Amino acid sequence: MSKKMYRFFYGFLDAQQRFLNRMAGKGWRLVRTGRLVYEFESCGPDAYSYCIDFVAHKSCRSSKDYQRFLEEMGYRVMTKPVNLNFSLGKVRFRPWGEGLGKVATAPGAFNKELLIVEKPSEGKPFKLHTSMEDRIAYYGTLRSAWTALALGLAAAAVYSFIRDEALWKSITWAILALVHLRPAVHSHHTLLALKSESEVTES
Amino acid sequence: MRVDPIGALTELSFLVLLSLYQPRHGYAVMQFIEQETGGRLCLGAGSLYGALNNLADKGWIKALSGADPRRKEYIITSLGRQVVRGEMARLSELAAIAAQITGGE
Repeated sequence: MSKKMYRFFYGFLDAQQRFLNRMAGKGWRLVRTGRLVYEFESCGPDAYSYCIDFVAHKSCRSSKDYQRFLEEMGYRVMTKPVNLNFSLGKVRFRPWGEGLGKVATAPGAFNKELLIVEKPSEGKPFKLHTSMEDRIAYYGTLRSAWTALALGLAAAAVYSFIRDEALWKSITWAILALVHLRPAVHSHHTLLALKSESEVTES
Repeated sequence: MRVDPIGALTELSFLVLLSLYQPRHGYAVMQFIEQETGGRLCLGAGSLYGALNNLADKGWIKALSGADPRRKEYIITSLGRQVVRGEMARLSELAAIAAQITGGE
C-alpha cells in the first residue's frame, strides 16, 4: 500500500523531520520525495527513523562525499530541494557557502540542498550532529543562509520602494523577508544557547 | 617528527584517534566510541564525518586504500600517536591536580 502527501516546509527542517518521523511511527516509510510531494509505502510502525541535514553550503563534490559516508554507515539517503537561493538561470549564488559551495549549478548541487537520511529504528533518538563544535558549525551555517536570504529580500523591498513601484510589490518583498527571518532568528537563538553551553561543557 | 604544542583536544577528537590505533571504517569508529564510553557518547554520523576530515587534514590520521572501496578505512599516523601521548600527559596532570586538591574524596 502506498500514500502520497503534499507538504511544504521550506526552512523549517525540524518540522519536516517531525513529520517524517510521525509518518514512520504510523507505519509509513518514505520512498520518494520532490519539492512538495512525499510518497510513502506501508511498513511496520516505528520501523524507521529520519533525520534532515542541510548541505546547501557544501560543494557538489563535498556533498556527494558526505552522502557516500552516510551510505557507508548503512543509512539510506535522499536529496531534496529547499528552494533557498539567489537564482540566475541554472546557476545559484550562495554567499554563505564553503569554497566551491558558493555557486550551485544544475546538474550539481542545485535542488539538492537537503538530505533526508533514513535508518532502521533502534529505539534511540536519531541525530547526525551531536558534538558541540559540530552543532555550533551547523547552526552557524543555517543562520548565515537564512540571514543572507532575508537581507536579499529586504534589499529588494527597499529597492522596489525607492523606485516607486506599486506598493504591493514592496510589501510582498518585505513580507517574504520577514518569513525568511524566522528560521534565521531560530538558528541564531539555538546558536547562542550552544555557545553559552560550550563555555562549560563539551558535548 | 616534533609536534608543536597544541591546545586541549576535544573528547571526540581524542576518542577518534584512540579508535584508529587499528584500521577502522566510520561505522566501526562509531561503535568503538559508544562501547568504550558505556553508551554515554552516541556519536552522530555528521559529527564523525567532520571529525575524520579534520583529523585527516591535520595529518593525524590517514585513509587506507582497503579491499572494499565502498568502505573507507582510516588509521592513526605517527604524528597522531604523538598528539595522543601529549593529550594523555595533559589529562594525567589535570587528574593529579584534581586528586591533590580534593584529597581523593
